[in-house]
Amino acid sequence: MDKLMRNKKAIILFIAPALILFTGVLFIPVCKAVYYSLCNYKINYQPKFIGIKNYVMLFTKDKTMAIALRNSIFFMIFSIVTQLICGLILAALLTNIKKGRNFFKNVYYLPCVLSSAALGLLWMFVFMPRLGINQMLASLGFFGGDCTLGPQWLFNTEGYIILPIWVISFVALWQYVGQSMMLYMAQISGISTDVYEASYIDGCSKKQSFFYITLPLIKPMVATAMSLNAIGSLKFFDLIYNMIPEGFLSHKADVIATHLYTQAFKFSKLGYGSAIGVVLLVLCLIMTVLINKFVKTESYDM
Amino acid sequence: MANTMTISKEKKEARIVSVFIYAFLILLAIIYILPLLWVVITSLKNDNTLMLSPWAMPEHIEWGNYSFAWTKGHLGTAMLNSLIVCGTTLIVSMLFGSMAAFAIAKLRWKLSKIAMYYFLIGMMIPIHTILIPLFVQFSGWGLSNSLIGIIIPYITFSLPITIYIMVGFFEGIPNELFESACIDGCSVYKMFGTVAIPLAKTGLMVTGLMSFVANWNELLVAMVFISNEAKKTLPVSLTKFVGPYHTNYCQMFAAIMIAIIPTIIAYVAFANQIVEGLTAGAVKG
Repeated sequence: MDKLMRNKKAIILFIAPALILFTGVLFIPVCKAVYYSLCNYKINYQPKFIGIKNYVMLFTKDKTMAIALRNSIFFMIFSIVTQLICGLILAALLTNIKKGRNFFKNVYYLPCVLSSAALGLLWMFVFMPRLGINQMLASLGFFGGDCTLGPQWLFNTEGYIILPIWVISFVALWQYVGQSMMLYMAQISGISTDVYEASYIDGCSKKQSFFYITLPLIKPMVATAMSLNAIGSLKFFDLIYNMIPEGFLSHKADVIATHLYTQAFKFSKLGYGSAIGVVLLVLCLIMTVLINKFVKTESYDM
Repeated sequence: MANTMTISKEKKEARIVSVFIYAFLILLAIIYILPLLWVVITSLKNDNTLMLSPWAMPEHIEWGNYSFAWTKGHLGTAMLNSLIVCGTTLIVSMLFGSMAAFAIAKLRWKLSKIAMYYFLIGMMIPIHTILIPLFVQFSGWGLSNSLIGIIIPYITFSLPITIYIMVGFFEGIPNELFESACIDGCSVYKMFGTVAIPLAKTGLMVTGLMSFVANWNELLVAMVFISNEAKKTLPVSLTKFVGPYHTNYCQMFAAIMIAIIPTIIAYVAFANQIVEGLTAGAVKG
């Protein structure tokens, strides 16, 4: 048996396809991206090494990058905080009800599996200035019955974080809160009921048991969900791309991913785009490390 | 809970609280279902009635929106492309992923732990970072504007989570089963095919559904790699429904319906497995 499981040929045969794909399509390209980011590289030309000039430009001269960075970080903080709170509340409520748990769970989770591109189009329509929500509110008597006086949900560019970004943040919350909820529920259902029974005998209220038992026990999952949210919101692309027609807000609603897309594939600045990609990668790695360092504690045996 | 000493007052309070909880949950469910229902209704209207009364029911059902989106909007082709891309990705990533997972979980070699970490790091890398090098490389190989060009990155990005979940499933299979198979004269390959895979069927199902859903909805890679109308996948074709030339919203909504119906059907049929899959990876972490 042991000899069979140490069969070198079999090991190589089993691991090789995945390893080759992974190295060729993921790791070598990452290295290449780092190299390109140090080059002046336009499509159809050879890359020319220019050192860190792309990064200097990115962080000092590029106004859109500053906006994109601000928007992305806002998205990240917004989604980490709101998903944590809403996800926990939903999970706590759903684990405590008796009837209809599966129904509610499946309904809240549904948008997670649907295409962001499709949902983006839907929400774009809902937030159109003259149609959708404004018209509904106007018919209920808001804005003096005139829907054109309503807020320009997707076109207002005033303020530090512009209104469209807030709107899209809420749409993203609507779409993805199911995922956080599901993760927390999975973890809560893993907690033995004995622990709760013991706490009730000791005179613990339901509220107390949530804060003193559930929360500490699901802390490892909080870390996982938070890093998933952080990475997911940094990578955010589909919803923004589909909800805000290109060029409408003169890049005021750009995030890192959309900025990368325009620079690399509209202006064919491949080197510059790679630098944005590397910044995105570094941000993702930093967030994962930070969250796991500060939130993750030793997991308890349950 | 064995709290038999509950006084009736507390019971009453609990009932009021639960009424509030249900009211809240139902309201929230409406916020989730209403927009989707509205898509269904709007997709059956025509633009004139939509502009006049966007929230009303259609007076006259317009199936034409669907046929327009399907043929003129190229969604028929896009659907076929999406099916080819996701189907191929599904099969190949499940095969390669479970092979690698088997090697990591059950075969004995020194570097298996390191290989696992190597694959896990892949989960943290955003696809955006490698988009440019891949684009350059694949254009060089003549893979741009071909379905294979997007299938390869899709497989690669499905691998880490597949391996992660499958390792968990394979580790759960007791070694005795393999030992007895060994005594019966099974080779390693036969063990993988006749013992490991059948016992980890749930895992395969779960990872398969997950990667299918993720790739079905993927927009960025498909958009960058494919510009030929005949090769576009569903999410890419959808984005063409907005823009300066297209203002027929009813047709756009019909297109949205076409794009999300397959996922909704899959979700209704496999809700439990999908949910399990999307949490399984994280729970074990």
